[in-house]
Amino acid sequence: MLEVEDLAVSYGGTTALAGVAISVKEREAVCVVGPNGAGKSTLLAAIAGGVPPKRGRIRFDGKDLVGMRAENIARLGISLVPEGRHVFGTLTVEENLFIGTYAMSDQRHAQRDAEQLLGYFPRLKERWRQPAGRLSGGEQQMLVIARALMTRPRLVMVDEPSLGLAPKIVDTVYSTLLALRAERGLTLLVNEQSSDRMLKFSERIYVLRNGRILLHGNTADLQDGEAITRAYFGFDEHHTPATSEAAA
Amino acid sequence: MINFAQTFIDALSLGSLYALAALGIGLLFGILRLINFAYGDLITLGAYALIIPSTEAVATLFIGGWPWFMVIIAVAVIVVAAALLSDLLVFRHIRRADPATLMIASFAVSFVIQNVILMFYGSRPKSVDLWSNLNYQIAVSGLRIPLLQIVTILATLVLMGGLTLLLKRTALGIQMRAAAEDFRMARYLGVRGNLVIGLAFAISGVLAAVASLLLLSQTGTLSQTMGVPLMLFAFIATVVGGMGSLIGAATGGFAVAFASVFLQAYLPDDLRPFRDSFVFGIVILMLLFRPAGLVPTKALVERV
Ligand SMILES: Nc1ncnc2c1ncn2[C@@H]1O[C@H](COP(=O)(O)OP(=O)(O)OP(=O)(O)O)[C@@H](O)[C@H]1O
Ligand SMILES: [Mg+2]
Repeated sequence: MLEVEDLAVSYGGTTALAGVAISVKEREAVCVVGPNGAGKSTLLAAIAGGVPPKRGRIRFDGKDLVGMRAENIARLGISLVPEGRHVFGTLTVEENLFIGTYAMSDQRHAQRDAEQLLGYFPRLKERWRQPAGRLSGGEQQMLVIARALMTRPRLVMVDEPSLGLAPKIVDTVYSTLLALRAERGLTLLVNEQSSDRMLKFSERIYVLRNGRILLHGNTADLQDGEAITRAYFGFDEHHTPATSEAAA
Repeated sequence: MINFAQTFIDALSLGSLYALAALGIGLLFGILRLINFAYGDLITLGAYALIIPSTEAVATLFIGGWPWFMVIIAVAVIVVAAALLSDLLVFRHIRRADPATLMIASFAVSFVIQNVILMFYGSRPKSVDLWSNLNYQIAVSGLRIPLLQIVTILATLVLMGGLTLLLKRTALGIQMRAAAEDFRMARYLGVRGNLVIGLAFAISGVLAAVASLLLLSQTGTLSQTMGVPLMLFAFIATVVGGMGSLIGAATGGFAVAFASVFLQAYLPDDLRPFRDSFVFGIVILMLLFRPAGLVPTKALVERV
């Protein structure tokens, strides 16, 4: 469904991605783990059209996304929940939720979809007319996931959903994602810094470090965590071993 | 008391004009991070559109001679077209530029508009008699209020009300507010960047058109820099109100007008020539204590 080949992105002089290849099949849950500054967010942003690649190909259902506007990529059925949540703080919960359906002038299923999603996130219903900026971090995370699903995407990309949330809430977020996947046949691509939870959540894992994929495999084959840890800390790189900048 | 009430209404009417212009500037800044110094020249352009282009000293009315609602529509169409054209030819090509670059580009646009006007209309100021019956003064319990002031205040109320409805109640308006808050996130959700930006230019054009008609009715004189002072005060109003907040822009417009009109009325005679220095002094003092303006918004979000 999604094929990324030889993707390179840089910000001015900083290279964020240096030739990354990943692929995601329909209905899979795939995870990208890597330390701080590995390039995880850049990867998702490049797929969603938020940052222009320097080179490489990004194909979704065979269609090349490179050079497409973010709003048109969204229309193809890709939805990104970026790092740090990005609720529209002055808009109400309701307005946040419907923004994508307004933008794509697709109101047909909007009400029914909203009600169904509120079944998963009942807290949002209680906050319906409040500015989203007043929600707690966990509620905001639920809002942005629900908001991303309102446009009926087929591929949902979530960037570090656990960031700044209590472990119990993170569990809820992940179980909801899996439930939604089962119900709607979603495909999931999720970034995390730590691989612990991903060993249960995902079917395949990529380890990204310094803008390169250092390891890739089926989650089932990586359960002992050894290979991931080695790649994560850079021991598999042929040149100098990395410093201990990152902690899982 | 009479004197105070009279001054108050003067300030309200001047504040309306500032608020209109400040809203136009604030709207573009909110979505584009563009401080559009060409805004004053759009106001100028709207006023010049009323007369037949010629370099002669005497102005011959063209659009200005039509029925009033036709005048408003025609001038709005012309100014909106010019605003959209400035986006199409200039700003669209530098979307990712930083605010400083955008502002400098707007100076260039301002310069171009002024020179186009110069080319077609000549450099001599011209008097134009637009809606002179608005100078009629209504006497209310000892006050003498020019009709124009009432019209200015009402027009501003109507436009602010319309803008509020648009932003709060329509799908497009909600998208605009989302884009103003976090442009990149809005696009990830399918909001069309060029659509909301075009709409922001168009609305700011309508506001500029109305401001130019009100300004011209008041001064009765066309000159190719007539919109510049209004733009400057409106810009100061947006800074005072808090860049990026529309309520702030309107509030700032009224605040600056009240400061300036009341200083004019109550300063000792020999200090009055320095009124603007006092106004700017107050602005600087206020910014020292509230650097984010009267209605601060959250830190400016990066755009795509
Ligand atoms: N807007 C930007 N401008 C300049 N450099 C950037 C920008 N965004 C990211 N970078 C740099 O690109 C590299 C990759 O950053 P990225 O945010 O993609 O990493 P990440 O894996 O998501 O990290 P984290 O786990 O901290 O979120 C880093 O070196 C970072 O400093
Ligand atoms: Mg990141």
